[in-house]
Amino acid sequence: MLKIPFSFVFDPLSIFFLIIIIAISISSFIYSWGYLQGHYSTAKIILGQILFVLFVFSMIAVVTAGNIFLFLIVWEIMSLVSYFLVIFDTENKKSIEAGTIYMVMTQVGTAFLLMAFLLMYRAAGSFDFNAIHAALITMSAKQKNIIFLLLLAGFGTKAGIVPLHIWLPIAHPQASSHVSSLMSGVMIKTAVYGLIRFGIIILGVNSLWWGELIVVLACVSCLVGVIYALMENDIKTLLAYSSVENMGIILLGIGSAMIFIKLGFTVLAVLAMCAGLYHLINHAIFKGLLFLGAGSVYRATGTRNIERMGGLIQKLPWTSIYFLIGSMAISALPPLNGFVSEWLILIVFFLGALAITGGLKLFFCLAAGALALTSGLTAACFVKAFGLPFLGRARSAKAENAKEVPWSMNLGAGLLALLTILLSLGAVYTVRFLVGVSGFVLAVNTSQINFSLNRFILSPQIGGTINLSTPILALILLLAGSGAFILFYLLYGKARVVIGQTWDCGYYKLTSRNEYTATGFSKPFRLAFSFFLLPFRKVTKIKESRYHVKSFSYETKTTKVFREYLYKTILGGAFGVSRNMRGLQLGSIHIYLGYICLTLLLLIIFVGKF
Amino acid sequence: MELFIILGLLATAFALVFAKRLSALVGSFSLQSFFLVLLSLREAVRGAHLDLYIIAGLVLALKVLIIPRILLNMIKEIKANENLGFFINPQLSLLVALGLIYLSWAFSSLVFAHQETLVKVYGAVSFTIISLGLFIMVFRIKALAQIVGLLAMENGIFLLASAVSGGMPFLVEMAIFFDVFVGVIILGVFVYRINKLFVGIDIDKLNRLRG
Repeated sequence: MLKIPFSFVFDPLSIFFLIIIIAISISSFIYSWGYLQGHYSTAKIILGQILFVLFVFSMIAVVTAGNIFLFLIVWEIMSLVSYFLVIFDTENKKSIEAGTIYMVMTQVGTAFLLMAFLLMYRAAGSFDFNAIHAALITMSAKQKNIIFLLLLAGFGTKAGIVPLHIWLPIAHPQASSHVSSLMSGVMIKTAVYGLIRFGIIILGVNSLWWGELIVVLACVSCLVGVIYALMENDIKTLLAYSSVENMGIILLGIGSAMIFIKLGFTVLAVLAMCAGLYHLINHAIFKGLLFLGAGSVYRATGTRNIERMGGLIQKLPWTSIYFLIGSMAISALPPLNGFVSEWLILIVFFLGALAITGGLKLFFCLAAGALALTSGLTAACFVKAFGLPFLGRARSAKAENAKEVPWSMNLGAGLLALLTILLSLGAVYTVRFLVGVSGFVLAVNTSQINFSLNRFILSPQIGGTINLSTPILALILLLAGSGAFILFYLLYGKARVVIGQTWDCGYYKLTSRNEYTATGFSKPFRLAFSFFLLPFRKVTKIKESRYHVKSFSYETKTTKVFREYLYKTILGGAFGVSRNMRGLQLGSIHIYLGYICLTLLLLIIFVGKF
Repeated sequence: MELFIILGLLATAFALVFAKRLSALVGSFSLQSFFLVLLSLREAVRGAHLDLYIIAGLVLALKVLIIPRILLNMIKEIKANENLGFFINPQLSLLVALGLIYLSWAFSSLVFAHQETLVKVYGAVSFTIISLGLFIMVFRIKALAQIVGLLAMENGIFLLASAVSGGMPFLVEMAIFFDVFVGVIILGVFVYRINKLFVGIDIDKLNRLRG
């Protein structure tokens, strides 16, 4: 009998992930009570909460498992439990479909992992992390490459790296919002944990192209994720695509750390890893926050379609503040934490381009370009995600009648908003902590490495002149903002504000349908990226006379390139092969027996060959 | 004695392939099982194990007497045509069987390359019986041939286990006997049902289940 070896690790990397898991799950758990109350039966709520707790514990087990056997088991438990949470809304056919796609993709990923783990086990003869690490040192480069690629495919599926992201924007929105926040905030991060644990710590970076491959995939994920997010009108799907993008940004940091450590630039490697991990914790927190906010909007309005919202800032003041904080952070607006981490990654690229000679110089410049473009598009995307639902006027009766959500939901989201601000102001402390984690991961002694001048000022280029201080920046912005407000107040005063109708050229019949739409907002980007989005557009006008149009309909949609061309081809091929295989099934028992006989004969004849 | 048993086992295997009537098939099977009893008895006498006596007794009771009796009764009851129904006629089957023997010998001498000749011979005989059992299942039409083929394969496996590896643990042996017995009963029930539904036990008529 095989004994399951129970062993756990609590090294800096595990502890870092533990902190993230616990922070997000506490907030989500508080939030969930208000979210589930009154929408499901008591028994179902209890079931949901049990699954939720199980989910959290499985993730904790994933990041603390001390051997690959236990890791694989808890990894599978995590996937299964999250599958049940995706299909929690069992009456909804869409949930079941989303769950099936999720299940298939996650099992494909696990299959890759299993292969990688079996190769590791064969080399080491032990499940233990340390034993495997010791055994892999003498492994040939070719085998290491194979293991790395298998690991990348396996964890990449979970992380949602393009083109393996397909399940993410389908499954995440279908789960309950507090679960989405946990899935997007934490679960997909466990894949990054796996990549760091197995790819960097256990396997050890062996070739330069590992890091380069990760950076290239990360750039593609960033851009594809954000472009799709920009096109999306379903608020939760938008957030899910944005997760694909942010996973890309995280991997930019980790991939470049792998490049630097291979080239021997240890300080830069630590900085890159640190930036990646900083963005990881940031994304966990603000994406969790945004999903909770989206859930509040969904509960208040009953819809997830941005086109049917509007003016919610009046109805849901608390939610809109949280959502605004989250949107600002994810759009990398200074002085919030998203800005700090993306800025750090950009600095890493620039310092890398300066330090390295040859083709990699250009490589880092291009990566920096991709990140900058991503960052700009993200800002546009979240102008849409915040502006259309919360500003303007209600676009439907549902949005008109929205009510503020229960206090437990606001409390859960509020905790995460608070964490966002703390992480922004405490950037120096965070970086100091992360330098320790990065040093552990890359096996670098970090006692001499210090990326800060004092408690307030970050200085990523040691001895250089690049500095950033979020508290001072926040103070300046606060002072400038309130100064401008006071100035205007003194100049014009309250009495000068006049509320009236929008000027409509004398039409007098403006309704909420005349407002800017989400589809309209994203149109310039649809045109700019039409080579990738392949938009389809159909306009039909029914005219009464030459001058009077009676009705007008406009239809547009974009083509999901990967689903349409990559996955459909694979599925079509699989079904084609199955259909052809059906020719073997003739219905005659004798022929079936004959197949067995033939196989036996062939085995007997060719036994010497095996 | 050794030679006698080996020849007997081989001869009955050929008799199974050459049989043209259902009752001849069952009779050959019964005879083959009898040679297995002899083999077990010889092992028992040599090893002086009580277990082996019990096994020999069980083979005698089940495979030589009870199962053939059940099968013969079934043939009588459903008034099946005595003709077996061939996809390949007996003469040609015999040629194929010769080829299979050669293959089995080659396989056996490959697998038991470092063992004494007797083991190789026993290996070859048991592989022959297994493959001929399968051959009967594939190329005979009546459902009873499939049952007998399966039982013959089981005989081959029994032979392989007892002659080459000195027999399986007693408990496993008992479990297999039970399995075979239950299998025959279930298959018998199936044959009755097939006979009722299709007016005959030609299983080449069962061809409607397909994708």
